Amino acid sequence: MSLFGLGRNQKTFRPKKSAPSGSKGAQLRKHIDATLGSGNLREAVRLPPGEDANEWLAVNTVDFFNQVNLLYGTLTEFCTPDNCPTMTAGPKYEYRWADGVQIKKPIEVSAPKYVEYLMDWIETQLDDETLFPQRLGAPFPQNFKDVVKTIFKRLFRVYAHIYHSHFQKIVSLKEEAHLNTCFKHFILFTHEFGLIDKKELAPLQELIESIISPY
Amino acid sequence: MDGADGTVRVKPGRGFETETDVAVSSPVTRQKAAAAKQFIENHYKNYLQGLHERMERRREFQRKVQEAQLPVEEQDEMMRNLARRETEYMRLQRRKIGIDDFELLTVIGKGAFGEVRLCRLRSTSEVYAMKKLKKTEMLSRGQVEHVRSERNLLAEVDSRYIVKLFYSFQDSECLYLIMEYLPGGDIMTLLMREDILSEDVARFYIAESILAIHSIHQHNYVHRDIKPDNLILDKSGHLKLSDFGLCKPLDDKYSSLLLEDDEMLSQDSENQSGKSDADKAPWQMPKEQLLQWKRNRRALAYSTVGTLDYMAPEVLLKKGYGMECDWWSLGAILYEMLVGYPPFCSDDPRITCRKIINWRVCLKFPEEPKISDEARDLICRLLCDVDSRLGTRGVEEIKSHPWFKGTPWDKLYDMEAAYRPIVDGELDTQNFEKFPEVEGSPSEAPQVGPWRKMLTSKDTNFIGFTFKKSDITRSMESSGSADMKSNGSGEAPSLISLLGRINMEEGEGGELNHKT
Repeated sequence: MSLFGLGRNQKTFRPKKSAPSGSKGAQLRKHIDATLGSGNLREAVRLPPGEDANEWLAVNTVDFFNQVNLLYGTLTEFCTPDNCPTMTAGPKYEYRWADGVQIKKPIEVSAPKYVEYLMDWIETQLDDETLFPQRLGAPFPQNFKDVVKTIFKRLFRVYAHIYHSHFQKIVSLKEEAHLNTCFKHFILFTHEFGLIDKKELAPLQELIESIISPY
Repeated sequence: MDGADGTVRVKPGRGFETETDVAVSSPVTRQKAAAAKQFIENHYKNYLQGLHERMERRREFQRKVQEAQLPVEEQDEMMRNLARRETEYMRLQRRKIGIDDFELLTVIGKGAFGEVRLCRLRSTSEVYAMKKLKKTEMLSRGQVEHVRSERNLLAEVDSRYIVKLFYSFQDSECLYLIMEYLPGGDIMTLLMREDILSEDVARFYIAESILAIHSIHQHNYVHRDIKPDNLILDKSGHLKLSDFGLCKPLDDKYSSLLLEDDEMLSQDSENQSGKSDADKAPWQMPKEQLLQWKRNRRALAYSTVGTLDYMAPEVLLKKGYGMECDWWSLGAILYEMLVGYPPFCSDDPRITCRKIINWRVCLKFPEEPKISDEARDLICRLLCDVDSRLGTRGVEEIKSHPWFKGTPWDKLYDMEAAYRPIVDGELDTQNFEKFPEVEGSPSEAPQVGPWRKMLTSKDTNFIGFTFKKSDITRSMESSGSADMKSNGSGEAPSLISLLGRINMEEGEGGELNHKT
């Protein structure tokens, strides 16, 4: 059983060998070098000496949520049900929404609706004192890393959609350096703490390799 | 993709969407993008700086612990203690803060955009001043940049001469600035009570004002709205500067009024003879009119227009202006301290404007009260053209003026203040005007909506407004640890002194005493 009690029969991912590849990834890869020159992010993601790992995961989760929320928020004029009737990450990947509580069976929704569900769901997690304790001394739950992994997996999907469907808009708004910096930081952080499975990262694989491989 | 939550599936291959039609985005989108970019840039600057400072703290702490030559186990224990404090600090940073965290107390000020009231942070019982600003008012009156500059300045500058900002946050309706509460009242209240100040008292407060103004100039900020109600006294009577960036840009109606009489603007002192009562210098105004001005001054200070009495002519005329405009304002305040009213006051703001612009003609000194030649000279060298104004070439030329002879500039804030306000406890508001509660009880404040997701067109203007004082020493104090002590100064003390674990004095055997 998964975290949300959904059986393996719900699995819908099956790679298609015939699907095209290459051009989009290579295209994006050229642009990933445009960043804010924000110091050494590789160093910045490391757990500070003596720090509690859960606390470090928690504070960074909130930061990454805020960044994705802001970046996607600048695209709401373009990411509409008409323009993005389904939540995709390029031609090969489509995401369906299920939270295992309100919506148990995955449903196909437009990209803006998917992101709305996703952000509301994450915010509910972040506001849950039993999951993300805010009172001093209150402990993190046993399964905290699993909770964080699910949040990161879902945040990644927003990045994947932005890069595949709206990158030109990002460029036209002169936001690519900001998007790339946030994404690089996000990927380096997930890599450092093993938060997202490799196959989940497939939609932006080339981009991710270009971020991680230099190190 | 694990597909465990059933959300991913492969689509049959079809060509990549090239999306070449980059439609011109709307102003709202461009505004959102600008705000998002600003937020992200600031975030990374602060994030990396914070990590660097954290490493430095650890290094410095380690060095001091080793210098103390404690047993290894105790050194390890202290390092663990430091790490625990850092962790607590991180949790405090993550903790969202909102209006519900504060108990709202007495209103101590009202303005065109909102109010200032005393409040108490429920978790620590510490008392603060809460400035509450209505978003709709800020937007409709074009004050967004001003409140942003206020928040930025207060967050950036850590100076003993400036009112400290501890938190800023927002809900759907308002912006909130949580600042230190200074119970001594403002200089306006002092002037209304005392009428005029002796030159010694005036010298003390003008000197402290100079240090305060200079401290913001060093951060490349111009205040533009220096006036007696922005100079606030702490409980011991020392002065701090407040209200950054909330000065209202002069209404266009005033600009047109200023320019409607071109003759008047071009005339100089020689050919100005027949003047109406309205254009007379303040000391030539009938006594009743002066009294009327004094009665109205508080109301004017809180009005939408605000008071223009202290504004430099270059600001009024919307010419290019720099930091020098703050020194003009200081000159006007000094005049008022010694004479009893500002140099260009009138009960009609339009006339005040005209007088300021025609300062060559309108700046005069009454026969009573008598003021020293040095004071008069200083006022005249502050209320003058930018090029010849003291301070234009640096603060030292003001500080070295003969009127300040003998002023102990480096010790001002350590000596006893010229006036000690009466303050009975931390909640005392006797030095502020009483305001009736109008908008129902404080508990009727709007509930905080989704705290992280604020991207409506209204809220876009205020992205990145949220702030917590990033002073680990302060967070340590409030973490409920008995061994944390504040050193009371503006500078962050060392963690050794804060943790209070080591007595850095030699014991009997020449070794350092270890405090448990």
